[in-house]
Amino acid sequence: MGQTFAEKILAQKAGLKQVEPGQIVTVQPDKLLTHDNTAAIAKIFHEIGVKRVARPEISVIVLDHVVPAATEAHAKNHQQIRRFVAEQGIDSFYDVGEGICHQVLPEKGHALPGYLIVGSDSHTPTHGAFGAFSAGIGRTEAAAVMATGEIWLMVPNSFRIVVKGRMPMGVYAKDLILHIIGDLGADGADYRSVEFAGPVIERMSVASRMVLCNMVAEMGAKAGSVEPDEKTLAWLSGRAKASFSPVSADPDAAYERILEYDVGDLSPQVARPHTVDNVVPVEGVAGTRIDQAFIGTCTNGRLQDFREAARILRGRKVAPNTRLLILPASREVLLAAVAEGLVTDLVSAGALVLNTGCGPCLGAHEGVMAPGEVTISTANRNFKGRMGCKDAEIYLASPATVAASALTGEITDPRQFL
Amino acid sequence: MSEEFVFRGRAWVVGDDIDTDMIYHGSYLPLTDPQEMAKHALEYVPGMEDFTDKVQPGDILVTGKNFGCGSSREHAVITLQYNDVSAVVAESFSRIFYRNAVNLGFPILEVPGIARQVETGDELEVDANAGSVHNLTKGVELQGTPLSGLEKEIMTAGGLFGYLKKELQAEE
Amino acid sequence: MSGKTVIEKILSDHSGEDARAGDRVWADLDLAVVRDFGGPNVVLEYEKQLADKPVWDPQKIAMTFDYQAPAKVVQVANNQRICREFAAKHGIPHVFDVNAGIGQHVLLEHGMVLPGSVIIGTDSHMNLLGAVGSFSTGMGTTDVAAGWATGRLWFRVPETIKITFQGEYGYPASAKDLALFLLSQIDTSKTIYKAMEFYGQPIQALTLAGRLTLDSMVTEMEGKIGFIVPDEQILGWIGERAGKPVEAVVSDADASYWEEWEFNIDGLEPLIACPDRPDNVRPVGEVAGTPVDEVFIGSCTNGRLEDLQVAADVLERMGGKVAPHVRLIVTPATTEVAMEAVEAGLYETFIKAGAMVTNQGCSLCTIGHHGVLAEGDILVSTGNRNFRGKLGKGSLAYLTGPAVAAATAVKGEISLPE
Repeated sequence: MGQTFAEKILAQKAGLKQVEPGQIVTVQPDKLLTHDNTAAIAKIFHEIGVKRVARPEISVIVLDHVVPAATEAHAKNHQQIRRFVAEQGIDSFYDVGEGICHQVLPEKGHALPGYLIVGSDSHTPTHGAFGAFSAGIGRTEAAAVMATGEIWLMVPNSFRIVVKGRMPMGVYAKDLILHIIGDLGADGADYRSVEFAGPVIERMSVASRMVLCNMVAEMGAKAGSVEPDEKTLAWLSGRAKASFSPVSADPDAAYERILEYDVGDLSPQVARPHTVDNVVPVEGVAGTRIDQAFIGTCTNGRLQDFREAARILRGRKVAPNTRLLILPASREVLLAAVAEGLVTDLVSAGALVLNTGCGPCLGAHEGVMAPGEVTISTANRNFKGRMGCKDAEIYLASPATVAASALTGEITDPRQFL
Repeated sequence: MSEEFVFRGRAWVVGDDIDTDMIYHGSYLPLTDPQEMAKHALEYVPGMEDFTDKVQPGDILVTGKNFGCGSSREHAVITLQYNDVSAVVAESFSRIFYRNAVNLGFPILEVPGIARQVETGDELEVDANAGSVHNLTKGVELQGTPLSGLEKEIMTAGGLFGYLKKELQAEE
Repeated sequence: MSGKTVIEKILSDHSGEDARAGDRVWADLDLAVVRDFGGPNVVLEYEKQLADKPVWDPQKIAMTFDYQAPAKVVQVANNQRICREFAAKHGIPHVFDVNAGIGQHVLLEHGMVLPGSVIIGTDSHMNLLGAVGSFSTGMGTTDVAAGWATGRLWFRVPETIKITFQGEYGYPASAKDLALFLLSQIDTSKTIYKAMEFYGQPIQALTLAGRLTLDSMVTEMEGKIGFIVPDEQILGWIGERAGKPVEAVVSDADASYWEEWEFNIDGLEPLIACPDRPDNVRPVGEVAGTPVDEVFIGSCTNGRLEDLQVAADVLERMGGKVAPHVRLIVTPATTEVAMEAVEAGLYETFIKAGAMVTNQGCSLCTIGHHGVLAEGDILVSTGNRNFRGKLGKGSLAYLTGPAVAAATAVKGEISLPE
């Protein structure tokens, strides 16, 4: 009997021929990703009583959550992490300004097909877009991986989501995944491995596949993935730091659920406050006044996203009383955006282009709202208080929808501008 | 000015060039409630970290030269006022602080050499009207420059708005 | 009676009296400005004292949000909102929101600062506008609220010190070093509350950016205002932006000065203000080799295109890479400067070098925003204040010009540019 993608990778890493959903395996991850929370993890690690990190070469640490430091506490936190890195001889350390961890990890060649990646961040599934089994774990587990170099995992059940049809103009990967999450619910794929397949997926760019995998966390999934193909290899060309062997699900694998979607009639989607699965077509919320628009994050902070936004904003002006914040996901993305003239386009339109990083997504700084305000954002979460203010509202959408809304000062169907 | 401007209280002494970030740090600028602002007075002045715990109503702040240099933030005056500090006596004031104090009706006095003649804990009697400071503990008297002219009128009226209201009433 | 100094002329003109040093006059205001720091306090005070009374002249009021652009904490987001609402209610058109940049620079670029004008603002560095002959001054809440109500404020007319420079200097010394030199030479008990007028060939040779740099540190000299008579070129620049020709205010030949000072700055070399005071000035050579953790290039003192250009040139000449352990933060003063910097390829240079380029505004200098330091951290900044703990408890800050700052970022220790 064939194996799903998750079963295959986990079996391989566990040195087994075959595994079953529900089975516990002990595996050695290829990469351990941590960020600003590394200091807290290091603290637990020290409490365990171990002095040296077991496999420093697998550790990838990226400072991205509050960069540059917004308070003395954050500055001290960063300082502690730098010391830890030096003390333990961790080479793959990316200091403030490099970018968001989920963008930097693949850019620097740490996310490879066939890899097992674990990270102390709920959006670690992003790297499934490269054909890795990539999952989020807690801080204590991350500390344990640092101490022992291995981790136990329960083999998840697998869903296969097959997407057919032709993506209409003005509709993007973000709209597709929001639609799916709206359909399945916030816990609809709880602890599952979600595989995306089908002609629509095959036609998607790597950046779009990252959007899908990034958001599986919002339906409770453990991991998301897309089978690697020539596009994946082309993206990774020149970046991979090691050799790799792509893994694919067997054609006769058994899935708990196989879902099919046809995107032919899909319209831009919006997640309403205050849950990600509270999804409606944009028509359902068009005209809602907004105070702030935000394009960035590990979900939609890439060159492709800024191109889509700039296409709508070029030669036009952001509405008065509306703030448009742009945060590139990495230095590399920012450089490319500068080179293409996108930064000029966006700033001319009245946007603020901020430094690379997570920015306002988690409410620590750089775009916190006042009570009663509304933001439309390309991020992946909108629960109450997520952006730092409990009495504010967050809508989630694609970069195009956010850009269009910034122009009018209210939630707007981007197709009007295309 | 009247007896309102004669103060008797315990002295706290700080040095020269106490900048507004030390009197009221920039990270607290978002606050607009004076009671909240009061919690952070002098926090960044070395040795004064527990000032807000120990200060008593009627205490008097004595400083070296150039007190209040730096930012134009009125928070620096308000934070002292709302700790019930009755006055600041300085060798010299930075101008924006000086002006803010006048506009808020917060008594100030410039007295050359004051910081060397007072120690924290000394009992002082300050007559902001006459410009004199009597260090009762050490038995020393010093003379400074009291406010005069328009600044004195504004201070006496309780601050700029008090002064303007009188003016506006007079016009009507 | 003798002739008048620049400040005496301006205050006479605005008060209708024969204003002389030492007098108290009530002067009409040309512009009353608030930032998002100080602004909400002014609004609250105004409403407390005057309720709904209309402001004296909405056209002569401006708001510039630069302290926390965009907001880092809910309180500031709310403060910004309070200001916007007041502006809307009172019909105040000039609201430069979080995407505009440093207030004084924004107003200057928009032609709102004329020679001979009287401008007040909730910023102690308003007086850098003396560089174009405007009497601009920082004030507290009560003053500005009263100004909004009546359009005039009381001023004590300062005495003026006439300061003449002679001699020549060249790169890598700059206007910043002229300012630091002056700071090191003067006795602040003499300059306190004085107006200054700067003359001499080295002053004439300064560009607008250089004049803004010099004048921005008059506050640190405890001076009230520093005037430099604008030349034809600067008058033309202002006139273009103001939409009408403008004239400089020049002191009378027989004006009465409190004192006249002369300084020879032949061979001026790069200088640096050491912790914890802006006047603790030494030649860079004396502290070269001091390791640093963070470097900041920006601020109202050194955030213009010229400053960024100098820094970028140094970075490129010295290998184009920031030292691995150093965080370099670059912030353009305004949107206009940001766009020019992008066009000039400076963003590319900075980002490739490993710097973080943040959005226009006061950035690091107003601590609240980002780039806060941890205990023991050492910062080299092109800003204007380095009092103990300003940017993070237990941290130390040095102040210098952009060339030295950039060289320092490359070497990881205080260095002269090569």
